[in-house]
Amino acid sequence: MARRALGRATPWLLLAFPLVLLFLFLLLPYLVTFFYSTTAATIGRLINVHGVGLKNFQAILSSHAPEFVKVLGITAIFATGTLLGSLGLGTGLALALHTVSAGLRSALLAVFLIPWVIAAVVIGYTWRLMYDPAIGLANSGLQAIGLAPVDWLTDKTTAMAALIVANVWAGYGIVLLVVSGALANVPPNIILAAQVDGASYARTVRRVILPAIRPTFLLAALVALVSGLNTFDLIYAMTRGGPLYQTETMALEMYRLTIGKGNVGQGAAVTVILFTVSLALAIAYVIIWRREARKWT
Amino acid sequence: MDLVRLSALQRLVRAAAVLLALVFALLPLLWVISIAIRPASQSLYPISIIPTSLTLDNITGVLFGRDGIGLLPYRNAAFYGLSAAVITAVASTLGGYALARYNMKSGEALLIVVLALSFLPSASRIVPLFILFSASGLYGTAHGVILAYAAGSTPLGIWLMAGTFRQIPVRLEQAARIDGAGAFLTLRRVLLPLAVPGILVVATLAFIDGWNSFSLPLILIPKDTAQPYTVALQRYIQEIGYGINWPLLAAGSLVALVPVLTVFAILQRRLVRVGGLGGAIKG
Repeated sequence: MARRALGRATPWLLLAFPLVLLFLFLLLPYLVTFFYSTTAATIGRLINVHGVGLKNFQAILSSHAPEFVKVLGITAIFATGTLLGSLGLGTGLALALHTVSAGLRSALLAVFLIPWVIAAVVIGYTWRLMYDPAIGLANSGLQAIGLAPVDWLTDKTTAMAALIVANVWAGYGIVLLVVSGALANVPPNIILAAQVDGASYARTVRRVILPAIRPTFLLAALVALVSGLNTFDLIYAMTRGGPLYQTETMALEMYRLTIGKGNVGQGAAVTVILFTVSLALAIAYVIIWRREARKWT
Repeated sequence: MDLVRLSALQRLVRAAAVLLALVFALLPLLWVISIAIRPASQSLYPISIIPTSLTLDNITGVLFGRDGIGLLPYRNAAFYGLSAAVITAVASTLGGYALARYNMKSGEALLIVVLALSFLPSASRIVPLFILFSASGLYGTAHGVILAYAAGSTPLGIWLMAGTFRQIPVRLEQAARIDGAGAFLTLRRVLLPLAVPGILVVATLAFIDGWNSFSLPLILIPKDTAQPYTVALQRYIQEIGYGINWPLLAAGSLVALVPVLTVFAILQRRLVRVGGLGGAIKG
């Protein structure tokens, strides 16, 4: 009897440590943030805070420097740009590598995945060097074809595009990895059958290969979108939200409000908004993933 | 025979596209290396693409020089990353085993919650962890940062370990149990040796996450001597006046790449295989 009780408790004994770790350092911080988003907490006063209801959210929505609507727009542009770029490059490369021999494929894959393991902040420094007005390769390139140099990261018209290119460099690897994995699982028979039927390569891709990897493709898209929404290190290293808030995304805004201005309540409120958006995408992700996982295991 | 037959034109387009992508992937890194290993006097406008002489001055300057950040920030990052890797490996092994082997009613739901948690990337944790740590006294401590790293890497780890354990035949385990071994003994003596490759991947991914982390130490570690290189390198950037000490920043970044690229080179095949499945989880 006692033995059976112990037997039933065993999985929970095994799970105790990971669950406590996840609860304290992953879940609890978010719960605390929901609470603080309704308080007037500041960096100097985190205990005995008094509640202010939804005033923080009102304050954020009516703020002027920068306007929150603008921050939302910038976040959307940055995330969409990252999504399209990473998805396009990652999927394109995966398809191209799918058609070469296995040995060459794994060698090329290794090279193309290098950016995947590099720290986002180091990627930020790397691309800041590429865009440097004095010694950057970007301007050397312009000069070589006879164009005037550009102040990539401090010019309002180019800063966002420059950041997106850098973030695509940081993010295409995960798409390449995931889509390559899916392509390897596509039964060769259906591809061969399409070719025997006389379909061109482009048609085979469109009608046979892409439909076969559709769920994985959606997963990769969601991963790219959420990581775009939450990019902090790279933007912080390259522009810190400048010039004049032109690249101030929600991730930077919550840092600026909390640490820069010391307004923990408002920073928490922005975090809650970003968290809610990410969570909605996470739920969509889980639903797709579960459908996928059944096929893979 | 190739899986798909391409025309000569299609092959040409493919080669050109892959070459172009290779340039995009490698050029930024080559430029960092090029700036890091040329004399500082050649890192000025107008810049020559190919340096006329090479030097290790910048690299020794970053590690040992008067203006260097020294070895300590790299050691700190390694310490945080390795500690987080150990904790992640232990937590993921325990959790993965429980979820793979026991038919718990709540197990499925738990896995889903873990999966959702793993999908929330680190930026949205910056403010929450800062608040929690400030209010609880973990602010500025090494174990606070290490546990925060480990918690971030554990969800993916649990998933990967659950997958690893599912691939190990249950019969091996049953044999051990019949011989009288309890769950923990079976785990330690029979399963762990077989699960080592999976554990290695989980620990490696956690180490890379920790070594690469920037925003968490930026807000959680105020003391200079405890900061990892990611934060310490910022001293070469003066935001006002736009002065950047590129020779030292490039050299410092290059040094930071050595451990991750080494680990990646060694475990690349394994990581890629796992990544195809588990990579979808990590944003």
